[in-house]
Amino acid sequence: MNDADLSSLLPLAVVAPIVGAVAAPLLARWSGRAALAVSLLALGCASGVLVLVAPTVLGGTVLVEEVGGWRPVGGSQLGVTFAADALGLVFALLCAVVGGLLLLFTFSDLADLGRRETGGYACLFQLLLAALIGSALTADLLNLFVWFEVAALASYGLTGFFLERPYAVEAAFKIMVLTNMAAFYVFVAVALVYAGQGALNFGQVRASMPHALGSADLVALALVVAGFGTKAGLVPFHGWLADAHTAAPGPVSALFSGLMVNLGLLGLLRVVFDLYDARPGAVLVLLGVLGSLAAIGGAALALVQDDLKRLLAYDTVSQMGVLVIALSVASDESLTGLVYHLVDHALFKSLLFLCAGAIVHATGMTKLSEMGGLARHRRVLTIAFVVGALSIAGVPPLNGYVSLGLIHESTEHGHLALFVVLTLAQVLTVAALARATYLAFFRRRDDDYDRFERPRVGMVVAFLSLSAGCVAFGVAPTWVLDHVAGPAAASLTESGAYAAATLRGHGTLTAVHVPFPYLDPVRLLVSGGTVVVGLLLAWWAVRHEGRSARALRPLVALHTGSVNDYAAFAVLGAVVAVVVLAAT
Amino acid sequence: MIYVNYAVAGVVFSLGVFTVLTRRNLVKIVMGLSLMEGSIYVLVISTAYRRGSTAPVLLTPPHGFGERALARGNVADPVLQNIALTAVIIGVAVTAVLLAAVVRVAQHYRTLDADDVRELRG
Repeated sequence: MNDADLSSLLPLAVVAPIVGAVAAPLLARWSGRAALAVSLLALGCASGVLVLVAPTVLGGTVLVEEVGGWRPVGGSQLGVTFAADALGLVFALLCAVVGGLLLLFTFSDLADLGRRETGGYACLFQLLLAALIGSALTADLLNLFVWFEVAALASYGLTGFFLERPYAVEAAFKIMVLTNMAAFYVFVAVALVYAGQGALNFGQVRASMPHALGSADLVALALVVAGFGTKAGLVPFHGWLADAHTAAPGPVSALFSGLMVNLGLLGLLRVVFDLYDARPGAVLVLLGVLGSLAAIGGAALALVQDDLKRLLAYDTVSQMGVLVIALSVASDESLTGLVYHLVDHALFKSLLFLCAGAIVHATGMTKLSEMGGLARHRRVLTIAFVVGALSIAGVPPLNGYVSLGLIHESTEHGHLALFVVLTLAQVLTVAALARATYLAFFRRRDDDYDRFERPRVGMVVAFLSLSAGCVAFGVAPTWVLDHVAGPAAASLTESGAYAAATLRGHGTLTAVHVPFPYLDPVRLLVSGGTVVVGLLLAWWAVRHEGRSARALRPLVALHTGSVNDYAAFAVLGAVVAVVVLAAT
Repeated sequence: MIYVNYAVAGVVFSLGVFTVLTRRNLVKIVMGLSLMEGSIYVLVISTAYRRGSTAPVLLTPPHGFGERALARGNVADPVLQNIALTAVIIGVAVTAVLLAAVVRVAQHYRTLDADDVRELRG
């Protein structure tokens, strides 16, 4: 197939899950299994399309499809353009494949759902995935906002899925208020950019962005940071994240953490690099500060959580902070590391949340203080959780070692403060996960569990696939860097070429080549050092539960649970962003 | 460009933010969000306006003008109006979902006070 044929397939990757989302609730009236089958088929179709275009796109070609045949006239594009570059494709493919696995897991975990619930669940799940794939492939600012809203609406429904549980509805209300405000910010930003540049297509906006940015452009950029920062769960916009993850079913938390928060990151990348060409410098500094707050704040909060899913959710805040720090460094190395870590995070965080879901499925417990000794009863579950935890800890040969190594290395020269922040965040992360692993799996527990459900086939398949992904991305770093992360980072380093391609209809990017010295003694030492210090901290935190809780009480007390307070933090963050950027 | 409208949009938006931050009643929070949303419609529609322009509804070209001249007429920007329309549609859906959640919260917690609806915290 030639490039034109391949690009004409692109909209199918979004259409298939939407068709699945419509068909699933209808089929569910007849049989729940049929709904599952059609959902998996739809996601399989989307994955198939993306795999088909992958060799071309990862080879550096940008495939562009003007949806509905609306071609640019006189250099201005009114229609929506879909453009598959390596960055978008990697994220879209990740969504389709991991999303399919999560759906498979769901129907093993929640097999006793009613037919109506099954249909609704499959519908929302696929709508969210379709929105994520759409936002990855779109090259139109308004379309990006629309996918943001589609994802938001689907996430509201999924958060409040257990309608009979009070806290699920409470969490749904919080995510709605905060995400809604984020949507306003993004919406105003889109309108301001359009009012200023008269364009929505990425290439056209980029071309007409003036050399000296006007104040409307700067305010728009600040609002984008606040809006997509909320979606990405950056501090201080993160109020919704932990609550939504705690209340939602296990696979939904995995979907939120592994895939949905990345929509925020992707939006930031697209706007900051592809539209604004990483100007002004203040936006990178601002993102560096927001990322640092999230990296340390999230990890510190994770250390004292008792609810396993809440702990993992705060760890997501921390990991998003690490990713945004990589964004703010904006070097070849850090951006390659960012793409690599984005994939890694999706794999290991989904895996950990599925483990948490499986523990609830097996024992009905959510609190670490009630669990214990699970390693004796659940061999596969224990291995899966340990693999996930070791990946985050950056232990070779698992995937976190390479991506975190790249990000850490990129900050060593010239960004000493960020390097210190990353190291500290990493120590806290290791400690939080080591504590959770010990308390849930290896602590002695004298009395037996009341109930112990058997794991089902779909759950084991999901565990094994995701664990295999964690190992595969860790043992073959050269291949991943050359064929996945390198080409994807090119969309950011050569953002001008990508943006121009979305308007012109074709273009090529040259992959970034970043070597990763796997056995570099400094890397091994830093990785080993953070793990050892983290383990010591975890040991101290377990021994002196009260003291660690007291030390972090001011931080925990800020999270009052009141929706007014969380909205106030978010507004404060937005105001600071506007003031900082408008002052430059 | 109508500066009075911008000012009105700014004031209404600030009122909405004020409501969301200070009112504890969940229904009022939803109303605050609606205020913010409404102000954005005003802002976007006002941005679309140009001095002396008419609505972008073009049926037939005026006498002596061809089809192509229509595109150069002094009309308000239809794209921004279209953006506003998209936002109205999304806004209605979101408000409905928000109010549905408020009803559920009221059923579960027997209150609408945001300070009593905080089982999840820390």
